[in-house]
Amino acid sequence: MSAILFYLATIVVYGAVDAMACLALNVEFGFAGLSNFGFIIFQSVGAYVAAVLSMGSWQKSNGGFQQYVLGWHLPWPLPWVGAAIAGGLLALPFVFLVGKRLRGDFAAVGLLVSAVLLNQLVNNFVPLFNGAAGISIVPAPFQGIWNPQGLGYQFAYGGVAVVLCVATYYLLRRVTESPYGRSLRAMRDNDVVADSLGKNIRLQRTSIMVLGGAIAGLSGAILVGFINLWAPGAWGYAETIVLFAAIIVGGAGNHKGAILGAILVPLGFEEVTRFIPPLSNPSLVPALEWVAIGLLIILFLWFRPDGILPERRRILSGAAPGFARSRPPVPVPLDGSGPDGDPDALINLGNLDSMDFRELLQLPPAPPDASPVIMRTEGLTRAFNGVTVVEGVSIEIQRGRLTGLIGPNGAGKSTTLAMLAGTLAPTGGRIVYEGSDITAVPSNRRATAGIVRTFQLASEFKKLTVLENLVSAIPGQSGDSLTGALRGRRHWGAEDRANIERAKEMLHGFGLSQYADTYAGGLSGGQRRLVEIMRALLAQPRLLLLDEPMAGVHPNLAHKIGDQLTRLVEAGMTIVMVEHELSIMDAFCDPVIVLAEGQVLAEGTMTELRAKEEVVEAYLVG
Amino acid sequence: MGFTERARRDGPVARGKRRLALVASVLALATSVVALPVMGGSAGATSFKGSITIATVAPFTGVDAALGPKYQAACLGATQAINASGGILGKQVNCKVVDTRGDPADAVPAVRQLYATTSNLALVIGCTSDEAATVVPIFGAHQTVSFCMTGQSEFDAVHFPYFFRLVPPDASDSVAMTQIAKRHGYKKIALAFGNDAGSQTFVTPALKALKRAGITVVSNQTLDMSATTFQTEAQAIVSAHPDAIMMEALGAAGVALLSEIYQLNGNKMIPTIGTSAMIDPVFFSGVTSGPIGVQNFISNFDADNPTVAVGGPAYPLYKKLILAQQGKVPGVPSFQGLLSANGTVHLYDGINLAALAMVMSGSTQGSKYKADILKIAAGGPGAITVSSYAQGLKALKAGKKIHYVGVGGSYKFDSYQTAFGPFEDDQYTANGTTVMVGSSLGYCNLTLCQAKL
Amino acid sequence: MSVFLSSLGFGIISAAVLAIATVGFTMQFAVTNVLNLAYGSVMINSAFVTYFLNIHGHLNAWVALIGGVATGSVASYLLNRFIYTPFQRRNLAPITIVIVALGVDLCGTFGLQAIVGGSYFSYRQSLGREWHFLGMYFSTLQLTIIAIALGVMLAVAWLLRYTRLGKAMRATSANPNLARNSGVRTQWVISTTWLISGALAGLAGTVFAMNTGVFEATSAQLYIVLLLAAMFLGGPGEPYGAMLGAATIGIATELSAAFINPQYKMVIAFLILLGMLTFRPYGLFGSERTA
Repeated sequence: MSAILFYLATIVVYGAVDAMACLALNVEFGFAGLSNFGFIIFQSVGAYVAAVLSMGSWQKSNGGFQQYVLGWHLPWPLPWVGAAIAGGLLALPFVFLVGKRLRGDFAAVGLLVSAVLLNQLVNNFVPLFNGAAGISIVPAPFQGIWNPQGLGYQFAYGGVAVVLCVATYYLLRRVTESPYGRSLRAMRDNDVVADSLGKNIRLQRTSIMVLGGAIAGLSGAILVGFINLWAPGAWGYAETIVLFAAIIVGGAGNHKGAILGAILVPLGFEEVTRFIPPLSNPSLVPALEWVAIGLLIILFLWFRPDGILPERRRILSGAAPGFARSRPPVPVPLDGSGPDGDPDALINLGNLDSMDFRELLQLPPAPPDASPVIMRTEGLTRAFNGVTVVEGVSIEIQRGRLTGLIGPNGAGKSTTLAMLAGTLAPTGGRIVYEGSDITAVPSNRRATAGIVRTFQLASEFKKLTVLENLVSAIPGQSGDSLTGALRGRRHWGAEDRANIERAKEMLHGFGLSQYADTYAGGLSGGQRRLVEIMRALLAQPRLLLLDEPMAGVHPNLAHKIGDQLTRLVEAGMTIVMVEHELSIMDAFCDPVIVLAEGQVLAEGTMTELRAKEEVVEAYLVG
Repeated sequence: MGFTERARRDGPVARGKRRLALVASVLALATSVVALPVMGGSAGATSFKGSITIATVAPFTGVDAALGPKYQAACLGATQAINASGGILGKQVNCKVVDTRGDPADAVPAVRQLYATTSNLALVIGCTSDEAATVVPIFGAHQTVSFCMTGQSEFDAVHFPYFFRLVPPDASDSVAMTQIAKRHGYKKIALAFGNDAGSQTFVTPALKALKRAGITVVSNQTLDMSATTFQTEAQAIVSAHPDAIMMEALGAAGVALLSEIYQLNGNKMIPTIGTSAMIDPVFFSGVTSGPIGVQNFISNFDADNPTVAVGGPAYPLYKKLILAQQGKVPGVPSFQGLLSANGTVHLYDGINLAALAMVMSGSTQGSKYKADILKIAAGGPGAITVSSYAQGLKALKAGKKIHYVGVGGSYKFDSYQTAFGPFEDDQYTANGTTVMVGSSLGYCNLTLCQAKL
Repeated sequence: MSVFLSSLGFGIISAAVLAIATVGFTMQFAVTNVLNLAYGSVMINSAFVTYFLNIHGHLNAWVALIGGVATGSVASYLLNRFIYTPFQRRNLAPITIVIVALGVDLCGTFGLQAIVGGSYFSYRQSLGREWHFLGMYFSTLQLTIIAIALGVMLAVAWLLRYTRLGKAMRATSANPNLARNSGVRTQWVISTTWLISGALAGLAGTVFAMNTGVFEATSAQLYIVLLLAAMFLGGPGEPYGAMLGAATIGIATELSAAFINPQYKMVIAFLILLGMLTFRPYGLFGSERTA
């Protein structure tokens, strides 16, 4: 009987360790979109550091049969604290991989390779952590005064592990269910767009890897204190794949899913198969276990990509959760189909007419001594692989005007806009905004300075609700940082409620209130455009850069949008809009800048431009 | 993540049911994918009422997968004879396999599960360097006697009351290898040891012993066991022109290294001295099926090995029993090759020692019979020498004191409960068995062997 | 100097095997934008097919090789057709496909291990006589492998440069939508590319196994690191870059083995890969795709 209890205690400890690892990896992968294929090294460094901190120096300890660094012989819980710190610090070198706009899969491969590399190094470089033999006879916490092999100790150990796991759960929930968590999920869904709305992607990724690494390190410390040995054989890179399988099965982006996955895959799988006698061919069972894990990954990603417990949809509108949940997330037309079968034609922006943008957007009044030119460029140039796409563009953008940017396909309109917003770095020339040179300023800092852009392609955060999309863009939220989130709802709750109200008001104005709690990815094309514009407006731009906001939008709606843009300009905003629909330009834009083959061809009102022969030749006719 | 969002219109109850079904299906997949193909070939461990169990806790998969089967063969062989003599204290004995996969973190729950599912566990064998450090304390806590196959030096320094070892520390193995080199008159030696835990422990003692013997080390290579080719190491060894190579690298690495040395040396094998772990049927069949071939290999390969008393009284029965297990242990290409394998010989003796101690003390509890292992191994005045379980049983029943002298000879335990016999120089024969060449090297301690040249 | 030359020789052999593998790997990335991390498992499965045809089917090794090549080709085609393409149609992030590829790799490698067991295998034939050039040592087998690799490189260059298929591949790689709109049957091009690149995987796996002498089901698991390093060095999706990358990585690893420490010979490949990912993820010569 007691043997069963011992087994149970072991399972509790392993379950808690696996669950902590899965929770941490899930925050990285499921919430922040960081595919940390090297996750196991963070757990491992924690285990090693906890081991060497709790042991005496190697020359004096246990006859000096093993070599390792440190050896400080610290009392519990210092080795565990050290393990968490080490796990967190290990994340810092990887900022170079994940902090930049490297394709997610390339960064993941880099992390995978790092895991293999570190395993080889630890294996072969003996003085660090005793090489392949690993560090053994690691003292269990309190082993001098309490027998670690006693049942009481084992259950107490399991209890501590579970408590730490539960604490991890609440800590991580505090982080993810906050404005900061919203920004993390926004980054996961589209990092370029989140960046353009002022989120510091590098800082967010670093913080999350440090947080995840610290938890992983602590979980390693718990494990090594229990098994008293840590060796490279225990942390092959494939262990990370098992944890990924756990999260995919349990449900990425759901903390309970991560725990469920940990119980099902690393723990349940291994323990269940252990009861199969390994007779016929000894490598058959472990081999088939790996096959089963591979199959689980593939089958779940195909049939149940959200896992057993899918990510929870956050109901911000205040609607009763049951009501909001029971509503289908797929949008339905407002009242049947529009005249040509397009529901977008019927979207009513009429509510906006009764609204004061200046108040809604909290637009700051322009400084009285402000120059009439809000932004100018000097010889702006961009080349891709030696092909110059934009060459020597020098323009001035007038404050409080709606400037149009037109030109034939390939004229460099979007590239120019991207350079103004900082999405692309120019290869030559400079950009001056409100009197200061911002050529080298990254896009997220330009956004906080008031330069906000939209994108030509759909760029909503798919798995954020419409309301979350909107609220995520509001700058200066006190809960939108790791420390702010950790201070809890008391710190940011009231402010967040106010932000939600503002977003709801905006939503009401644009006639999309009933979609507040719908995932933005499920909206129609026109609705997504509106979400994007609303989101950009809530980012409180002084200079709004719109990249073909009416592309693919029903003409009825396009004109409604145009009317509201005019009102925004009247309220004091400056707008630059790339558009190829001339009727839109005719109706709303003044002045209009014509680009052709990467250069400025002409500038003026549409009437003036129509009079210019070279413009007509280059663009208007063709 | 671009995981797709799908509309779901059902209520929470239906959703809950489906989730439950999914959880169930994950576990079902786990068991079925793994279990179905296995069922075909396995009879399952049968557990008789009133029986006792000996567990082989060792890697059966992973890099050191070759180790487990050798030990399991010993268990099956020894228990066959024990059961034929009526079992231990009237109870039949069966053998159970616990695969640690060579992963120390995997070994702990595996052993815990062993205890949870095996109420009649009387003895543990195996526990190699891969997992000994994590599992030996657990065996101690459960007061289970263990016969371990680890040469690790921590067990020379820390006392574990239920830990027994019938193999020499790796350090004396190195001394024996050096002695073999000296006998052959080699002046220049190259070392090639795997980077795994079990192999690296040989290197420092070997360097010391070679220096003392006045033999030059011309090259010292550490082999990365995860690599698939060792051309650079092979080239370094070949171009150092050693008289011989001293090596231990289990699994594919050792085979690959020898083949590559052979090729780079113009299709000539450099004489090689292996550790006792290189007496292994898997290694033998690996090397000899490659380009080196049988004849070339057996005439150029020596290994040190704790003496197997081939002429002794215990050997014929042992040989019969081990060969009778042919086909019952997968992963062993030739049972002939097991006859002199370190693990098989000494764990066979270990099981007999423990079984006789159980009879003598009248208990299968480790705490009760542990002390009698030492008595039976030591013998003492008036003790009858026995070489099998049946003989010992008869003598004990007649109320006599006994002294067990097994296949590995007589065992003298030191204060850390380690005992090992004299060493010899072994060579393979064409069918994969080994023979002793020359005379015994005698007992080797950490600095020298008894037999002088 | 002699150490330098002999390890240069080993480097040339490694590079030859790696080049065959990397060209196939990078072609798959070029036309489908998939980092096929299951490539190593296709290689080793093909190697085992060749091995069993040779040992148990009693076919000449070079005849058996055809079986291995066909296995790689068909397996890769099926993999793309029935796993990667359906997943890609769902417009998932590339990382999801990479995770799927890892799952496939586990199934491929350990499915093979479940069949052949955990022990290792070796070819019985001798490696042939030893040849010496300028202080480098090659067996007849290795010279054959180098010749095969050179032949493959020339054939790929010819394919890309002079055939309609090659031009279609390049067009599909540069911009699949534009290619489709210009009348290229991209689906057909992709399928053919996977057949060809799969054949290269099969060939690479077989010569890899022949050259290592001893191999097991999991032998190619770490090989993917070398493949990735070679591919990223030359630029992902660039066949010529892959050849150059393979040559560099093959020789660099062997030289570092000789001059630093053989245990750390993979380290140079790791460092090159990490450096490329950090500073030039589109390769030394590759171009940033503007998508």
